[in-house]
Amino acid sequence: MARGGGNRSRLLLVILLVTSLFFITLDLRGVSVTKGSRSVTQSFLAPIQKGVSDLFSPVGRFFSDVKNFPSEKNKVEALASQNARLKSQVLVNKDIQGQLNQLKGVLDLAGRGGYRVVAARVIGHGSSSTFSQTLTIDAGSADGVRVDKTVISEHGLVGVVKSVDAHSAIVLLLSDPAFKVGVRIARSQSIGVLSGTGGNSFALQLLDPAGNIVVGDTLFSNGSDSNTPFIPGVPVGVVTAVDHSSSTLTQTATVKSYSDLANVGVVSVVISAPATAPRTMINPSPRPTVTVYVTPTPTPTPTDSLSASPTPSVSKKATK
Amino acid sequence: MSPVRIALNASLLFIAFIIQESVISRMHLPITGFSLYLAIIVSMVLLENRIGAVILGFVGGIILDLSPSSQSPFGQWALVLTLVAYLIAVNSESVDEIISRPVGLGLFVAAGTALSLALYLILGALLGESNGYFGRDAIVIAGNFFWTMLFAPFFMPILIVIRDVTVGARERI
Repeated sequence: MARGGGNRSRLLLVILLVTSLFFITLDLRGVSVTKGSRSVTQSFLAPIQKGVSDLFSPVGRFFSDVKNFPSEKNKVEALASQNARLKSQVLVNKDIQGQLNQLKGVLDLAGRGGYRVVAARVIGHGSSSTFSQTLTIDAGSADGVRVDKTVISEHGLVGVVKSVDAHSAIVLLLSDPAFKVGVRIARSQSIGVLSGTGGNSFALQLLDPAGNIVVGDTLFSNGSDSNTPFIPGVPVGVVTAVDHSSSTLTQTATVKSYSDLANVGVVSVVISAPATAPRTMINPSPRPTVTVYVTPTPTPTPTDSLSASPTPSVSKKATK
Repeated sequence: MSPVRIALNASLLFIAFIIQESVISRMHLPITGFSLYLAIIVSMVLLENRIGAVILGFVGGIILDLSPSSQSPFGQWALVLTLVAYLIAVNSESVDEIISRPVGLGLFVAAGTALSLALYLILGALLGESNGYFGRDAIVIAGNFFWTMLFAPFFMPILIVIRDVTVGARERI
């Protein structure tokens, strides 16, 4: 192994360190050249990641399957007993079903303002050497995906779109230490901020000093201005532990996500939200108008025993 | 280090980077992930002289800075790996005896990887980045150390062969 170059190597070291600092300064000042280089890499890597994703997904799951084998076995036993209990409840639920159908009609009013979503497949995960928690998805700007759009899975919030290429996008996960989202507790309607920690649990801090958190509380996204980056009402997670220490002004808690972020395979990107938020849609629009139908029906009235004349009847029918 | 060798090493690092981003990052290894890229760059630096090591560290850092999943400012990895490469090149002479054995070599490469990750976190904290809980970061570094030590005996011989093939007769002296 050839060694040498004492002074020259030190000079080179200083030059390269200064160059690195120059790049960092440029990036922090928002110069687009450095940002563009990452998007070029993304467009280059996306097709490779897509191909590798198809080829290696069984291998990727192998390690997590082996790791979770004992817990999966217990889970199957627990689910079998739960299944038996639920079968007995089905009979009771038939009565409730009738009431639910009526309630559903009312709730449909709130659900009319649906979001437009784009479904996407996860083709890559963030590298462990960057300490960032990200996903690469196979939908990009050509599919309508834009930066700062909410990404959801079948169970709830997954993250937000960080950068977009023509046919792929990088999603910053809920678990990333830099991730923060405003949330609302379903029970008390208190609001707080949920932060990623880099692991499987997240930190919740309430904004209201008088508010309280209980284990089992469900959290929903609070929504952002113009629905960017977050749309309101998306399930985020459930409180698993509450910090009762008196050292903080507001209460804090640990939250577990509804989405299995490590094994999520398919996600949806909300590309457009309704013009009015669903929570403000108290009255349906347009308002129902009343239309009057006049139908001449021959109704013989026995007013006179000798003559029977047809009299018109008026019926009102409300239509939308 | 000749320009041809710089280009060859950069190509090799870029292939390692693609494998890292496309394959390794999809494998949910126990403890935490394994950074093949960092392990390879530390190993390659170990085989170079001081000037070659510093150049390789910088080029390797720039390639890692191109990672689309990275949240850090462009140039952070370049700074860290240039510094680590210099430290390794300066100290590798004094640990020649240790790294001549496979276990010692694995330990040295793993320690270099762990040092890179730790410096990256420290620099990130100085630049105001959120790095999550200290405990979690410590597990990531320890996990990388473990996997690098385990895998180093497999990829190190390949790197040595590649170096012997690509290095010129003049540089060999």
